[in-house]
Amino acid sequence: MSHSKTHPAGFQPTPLRARGTAGTWLTGMALIVCVVMILSLLGLIVVSGSRTFWQKPLEKVTLESGESFLGMRFRTEQNPEMGQRTLYRVGNRDLGQQPFRWVDVNDITQQSNPDAAVLVERYEWGIWLGVPSKLIEIDAKGERVVVAEGAQDVLDQLPAYLEEARQRHEQADEIRSEAIAKLNHKLEKLRLAQLNARLRADLDERDGHLGYGLWFVVVIVLLGSAGGAYFVQGTVFKRVLVLVACLSAVGAFVERPWADQPISQELLAEIEAESEEQRLVLTSKFIELTDRVAEIEAEDARYRVEIIDPLTGKFAALSQSQTNEPMKVSQIIRVVQPNEIGFLGKVRIYLSRWWEFLSDDPREANTEGGVFPVIIGTLLVTLLLTVAVVPLGVMAALYMREYAKQGIMISILRVAINNLAGVPSIVYGVFGLGFFCYGIGGVIDGGPDPSIVLRAGQWWILLLIASAMAFVAMSMSSGGPRNKRGLWGGLAWGGVALLAVIAVFTTPYFDGFFQAKLLDGSPTFGTSGLLWASLTLALLTLPVVIVSAEEAIAAVPASLREGSYGCGASKWQTIQRVVLPGAMPGILTGAILAMARGAGEVAPLMIVGAVKLAPQLPFEPRFPFIFADRSFMHLGFHIYDLGFKSPDSEAARGYVWTTTLLLVTLVVMMNLTAIRIRTKLKARFQSGQF
Amino acid sequence: MTMKPSRNAEQTVAHAVETGGAFEAARHDELTEIESVLDISKFSLWYGDNRALYDIAMGIPRGKVTALIGPSGCGKSTLLRSVNRLNDLVASVRTSGEMLLNTRSIYDPGVDVISLRKRVGMVFQKSNPFPMSIFENVVYPLRIAGERKKSVLKETCERALQAAAIWDEVKDRLNDSALGLSGGQQQRLCIARAVAVEPEVLLMDEPCSALDPIATARIEELIHDISSRYTVLIVTHNMQQASRVSDYTAFMYLGRLVEYGTTKQIFQNPHLTETEQYVTGRFG
Repeated sequence: MSHSKTHPAGFQPTPLRARGTAGTWLTGMALIVCVVMILSLLGLIVVSGSRTFWQKPLEKVTLESGESFLGMRFRTEQNPEMGQRTLYRVGNRDLGQQPFRWVDVNDITQQSNPDAAVLVERYEWGIWLGVPSKLIEIDAKGERVVVAEGAQDVLDQLPAYLEEARQRHEQADEIRSEAIAKLNHKLEKLRLAQLNARLRADLDERDGHLGYGLWFVVVIVLLGSAGGAYFVQGTVFKRVLVLVACLSAVGAFVERPWADQPISQELLAEIEAESEEQRLVLTSKFIELTDRVAEIEAEDARYRVEIIDPLTGKFAALSQSQTNEPMKVSQIIRVVQPNEIGFLGKVRIYLSRWWEFLSDDPREANTEGGVFPVIIGTLLVTLLLTVAVVPLGVMAALYMREYAKQGIMISILRVAINNLAGVPSIVYGVFGLGFFCYGIGGVIDGGPDPSIVLRAGQWWILLLIASAMAFVAMSMSSGGPRNKRGLWGGLAWGGVALLAVIAVFTTPYFDGFFQAKLLDGSPTFGTSGLLWASLTLALLTLPVVIVSAEEAIAAVPASLREGSYGCGASKWQTIQRVVLPGAMPGILTGAILAMARGAGEVAPLMIVGAVKLAPQLPFEPRFPFIFADRSFMHLGFHIYDLGFKSPDSEAARGYVWTTTLLLVTLVVMMNLTAIRIRTKLKARFQSGQF
Repeated sequence: MTMKPSRNAEQTVAHAVETGGAFEAARHDELTEIESVLDISKFSLWYGDNRALYDIAMGIPRGKVTALIGPSGCGKSTLLRSVNRLNDLVASVRTSGEMLLNTRSIYDPGVDVISLRKRVGMVFQKSNPFPMSIFENVVYPLRIAGERKKSVLKETCERALQAAAIWDEVKDRLNDSALGLSGGQQQRLCIARAVAVEPEVLLMDEPCSALDPIATARIEELIHDISSRYTVLIVTHNMQQASRVSDYTAFMYLGRLVEYGTTKQIFQNPHLTETEQYVTGRFG
C-alpha cells in the first residue's frame, strides 16, 4: 500500500543503476581527460614554440662583486641549495665565456635596461651583446676612417652599411651556389666519365661487363607469362607471334648490341685528352668565379664595427686569432636594440626571425639559422613514402578482398599484416639498412656480389626455368571463376618471383650502374639515402594502408558490384570503375594515417638516411629534380639532434620547441590537404539520399 | 481439361514437394504454342550441399512479360540470377541441366560470361546507380564494351532514357550525379542502363519492392510499355503487380516449378489448389 501511495498509478522509479547516469559521467570524464591531455600537449608546443623568437629585454646587471654584464633573462628558479637564481643568456662566446650564466638573485645589486645596448646576431659564434662604439671604413690605402662614433651615431648609420653587406652576401652566395656548384657538378661528371672509360678499356672480351642482365629478367618473365596467357585464350596466330617475340628477344639479348662494349687504348687516350681539355676550361672558369667571390669578400673586409662588451671592455673581434681587429659589418645578420624598439619593432624582429627560420640553412650546429633544408627533406621523404606505399597497399588490399579465396590462409595473412604494425620502428630501420641500402643498393651500385654470381650457362638455365614457370603460372591462373587450380597457380607465381629475385642477384651480366663512383670509394645507392628512407617508411606504414584500404573496399556495397557485373563488366572493370572510386575516400584516410606516421617517425630514419647536416639538398631545379640517393635532413631527427646532441643545450631549447611546432604544423597541413581531397571525393561518390 | 486436385492431404503437390516426392508441374496447354526466347530444361542448382532449384523446365515467351511468384526462399531469385549467371560469383555454386538463350546454351563451358551478361540485362531489388553522372550510368555497359564514340554514346543514352520513361525528367541534368535522383527515378535509370545495350532478355528482381506506390505505378507502366520490345522476366512478391504487368506467371515452391500458365489462368482458374491458395493469400 505504501508503494502505491508514493508512486501513483503503480509506476516504479527506474533504479539509478539502470538509468546509467554514472556511465554518462564516466564516459564524459574519460573524454575530458583525453581532450585535456591533447590540448595541453598542443598548447605547450604552440606556446613554447612560438615564444622562441620573441625579443626579450636586454638587462645590464651589476653584481655585489662590482662585476656588471649584459644579458637576457631566461628563467628564474628556486634551487634548494643555492636559493633563488636566474639564468641569463649572455652570449659573447668568443670571449671564452659560457653563453648562459646562472646568477644568485641576492647577488644582484643593480639592474637597468640601457637603451644603447644591442644584440648582434652573427653568422658565426652566436650572439654578441654589447654597446656600439665605432663604425670604421678602411679606404683603398689601408687607412682607417672612423665614420661614426658613439652608440647613437653608429646605430643611425649601421643599417645602410648592413644593407650593402647583405647585398654583397647575396651576390657571393649566388655565385657560390649557382655557378660554382654547377661547375663542380660538371667537373664531377667529367671525372666519372673518365673513370668509366678507363674501366671499359681494362675490360677484356669477357661476358658483357656493364650489361643489362637486370632488365632481361623482367623481360623474360613478362614474355613467359604473356605467352602462357595467349596459349590459354589466344588464336594460333597469336601463339606463333608470341613465340617469335620470345625467340627474337632472346636473340637480341645474347647479342646485346646496346651493352657497353670494351674500348681500345687509342680511344681511351682520345677520350682522356678530350676530357682533360674540358677540365682545363672548366677549371679556369672555376678560378674566375672564385676570384669574384674573393673580390666581394675583400670589399666586405673594408667595413668594420666595434661593439663593446661592458664586462671586459673588449669589442667583438674579426676572428678568434685576430682579437685586436673589430668584426666586419658583413659578419652581422641583424642588430637589435631590444630596449628601444617598442612593441611594433619587436613584432617586426619576431616575424623576420620566423622568416629566417623557415627559409635559411642551419648554422652553429643547428642551434641557429633556419631549417629550410630540413623542411624540404621532411616533405620529400613523406611524398616519396606516400607515392610508394599507397599503390602497393591498395593493390595488396584489392587482391585480398576481391580475388583471394576468403579462407584460413587469408585470415592468417590479415593477422600477420595487423601485427606488422606493432613491430618497433627501429627494426624496420635495421631491415632497411640491410636489405635496401646494402642489399639492393649494393647491387644497383656495383652489381651482385661476385661470390654468388652464377656462371653464364647456369644463369641461363635459371632464367629458362623462371620463364617456363611464368608460362605455367599464367596458364593456371587464367580462366573463369570455376578455376580450381588457383592454389597451384599462386604457388607457381611465388616460384616465379623467387626465381626472378635470385636471377637478379646472381646475374653475371650486370656490374652495376655506378661502378666508377663505387671504385672511387663513394657508394651512390649502396648507402643510406632519401630513396631507401622513404621505402623503409613505406614498409613501416604499409599495414596501416592495407588495413584501411581493405576496409574501404569491403564497404563498397555488393549491390553496386552486382549492378556492374549485370551490365557485362568483367571483374577488373568493376574494380576499376566502381570499387576503387567508391573506396577512394577510405583509401585516402589510410594515406593520411601513413603520412602522419611517416612524417613523425625518427628511429628508422636515423639508420637509413637522415643526417644532422646534409651537404646538399635532395631537391635541385635540374633533372631529375629529386636526388633520391642523397642523404637528407628531417624535422623529427632534427628535434632529437637539437634536444640531445646539441653542444649548447640551453641555446637549442627554444629551437626544439619551435621545430616541434613546425613539424606538427606541417603534418596538420598535409593532413588537411588530404582531408580536403577526401571531402571532395566523398561529395562526388556518396549519395545524399538514404 | 484437367482433373480437379484431390483433397487428400497425402496426394497434394505441396506434400509431394515438402517430402521430396515425385510430382509433375502443372503446365497449361496455352504454353505449347508460344515461341520461347529462353528455354530452361531440367535445370538444378546447388549452393554447396543445399539444393536450391529442382529440375526446372520452362520456356520464356518472346516479347512477353513473365512473372515468377512464390513464397520467400522458393528459388525464384536464384532462377532469375541463373539466367545471366550472376550466381557464378558465389564460389560454391554448382548447376546441372540446360538453359538455352535463343537456342544457344548459357552454361556451355565455352560461353563467355561477360558477353552473356551483355545480352541479358538486369534490374535489381534496390536501385543501384553507380556513383557517377546520369549520362555515365546509362552508357556504362557501352563504356565497358569499349565504345568511345561520343555520338553513339549520346544517342544510346537518349534512346535508353526515353525507353525507361525518364528522359524528360533528366535531359537537362545528364551530367549531375545519379545519386541526386529520387528512389523511383534511380530505379528507372537502372532500367535505362539495363536496356542501353538492347538485351535479348530483361531480368527484374522485385524492382518495386523499395519504392512508394506512385513510383511503383510508374515502373509498372514502364514494364508494360517496354514489354513490346523486350522479353521481361520479373520476380515479384506482389500478387497484384504480377497480375497487372505480366502475360505469363510461374508459381514456384521450395525450388520447384509448381504451376506455369497465362497470368489470367493462374489468377482466375489455377489447376492446383496450392496456386489458388497462394495467389489469394492463404498459402505460403
